[in-house]
Amino acid sequence: MTASSDNRILGIKNRYLVLVLLIGWAVAYRIMPPVLMRIQLPAEELTHAVQLPLLGRFAFTNTMAAMLISDLILLVLAFSFSRAARAALAAGGRAIGGVSGAVEALLEALYGLTETNAGRWAREIFPWFATIVLVVLVNNWLELIPGVDSIGILHAAEHGFAVQATALGTTIVGAATHNEAGGLFELVPLVRVNSTDLNFTVALALIAVFMVQVFGIRALGVGYFKKFWNTSTMFTKPIFGVIDFGVGLLELVSEFSKILSFSFRLFGNVFAGSVLLFVIGYLVPSFAQTIFLMLEFGVGLIQAVVFGMLTMVFMSQAVVSHHGDEHADPEGAAAHD
Amino acid sequence: MEGNIVQMGQVIGAGLAMMGAIGAGAGIGIVVSGAVQAMGRNPDFAGTIQTNMILGIAFAESIAIYCLVVALLILFVGVS
Repeated sequence: MTASSDNRILGIKNRYLVLVLLIGWAVAYRIMPPVLMRIQLPAEELTHAVQLPLLGRFAFTNTMAAMLISDLILLVLAFSFSRAARAALAAGGRAIGGVSGAVEALLEALYGLTETNAGRWAREIFPWFATIVLVVLVNNWLELIPGVDSIGILHAAEHGFAVQATALGTTIVGAATHNEAGGLFELVPLVRVNSTDLNFTVALALIAVFMVQVFGIRALGVGYFKKFWNTSTMFTKPIFGVIDFGVGLLELVSEFSKILSFSFRLFGNVFAGSVLLFVIGYLVPSFAQTIFLMLEFGVGLIQAVVFGMLTMVFMSQAVVSHHGDEHADPEGAAAHD
Repeated sequence: MEGNIVQMGQVIGAGLAMMGAIGAGAGIGIVVSGAVQAMGRNPDFAGTIQTNMILGIAFAESIAIYCLVVALLILFVGVS
């Protein structure tokens, strides 16, 4: 990574380093073989649950810790980006470099996509699109940081694992055998990826679908609800009117199924990814997990963009009148050259 | 070899639930095939086509994800 040409790693000058690392991995895994963690669907609680008024039972879970970390990352990104952008403007519009430049490139690509789809509503819809993409992206990529899902608190458990003290701390060493001397323990990770918690994905999906309706009402007024309760052609065209009415009811159902598919798509992809990483790290401890980490990098990006893009497309469909011919959004089609 | 018949049923059921991924796989294949053909015919609209292709893939994929969620629920939450 350094500029000196003798020590290049990415330029594969010192290739033997990679080999040494690989052998080191293999030796380390020989000494202390990895354990397949117990996989749990609901988020683990880090604190004792308390009863809150109105909200009910509340406990600080490890996915909330991930949420706080990702919020922090986003805040740092936002502030450093605005500072970099201001500095670039002050210097007469030179290009932004570094991480802020990457953020700018991402945002520009997203804005281009929004303009293609939403036309003149792009400026209104873009903030929702970009926010969702950034939040989901940072949350998904937390999975790639070493220590997430693997550093945590040991709890005594009936069906746990045997543990052993090492120089760096106590670690889980193996599957439970009967009558372990020190008792059996279970690891509760301090940080677990937020997208593997259904609460986060459902909340995000509810916000997205609710804002789709808000955009529809803002653009079309009360007429937006004609999409769902369409009686306008009921009496003029008897048979097709009834069909139109049924189609409207189906639209209503599809709004609710959007919530379901939004939340389960993100949750399923990321949860399956983390389970995959657990299993691969257990089966092929050395090297193989690296490839799957790259796969998860791609999946995290694609799911973030798909979540945001679907929200954006639904919003741009909602702001267009459903009687296609009257306002056949000329700008939406014309925005793409 | 230990375990009970409920666990056996869980594992078999999770495997059967994932059979729904067959349809999603075929669907994604059809979507991408059509999109690539369209891009080959008019490369100028490759961007628009790609956007719609990803949307179509996402919709088809969500069916497989439902199956996956059902399988994960069966495996890790279990029957009560």
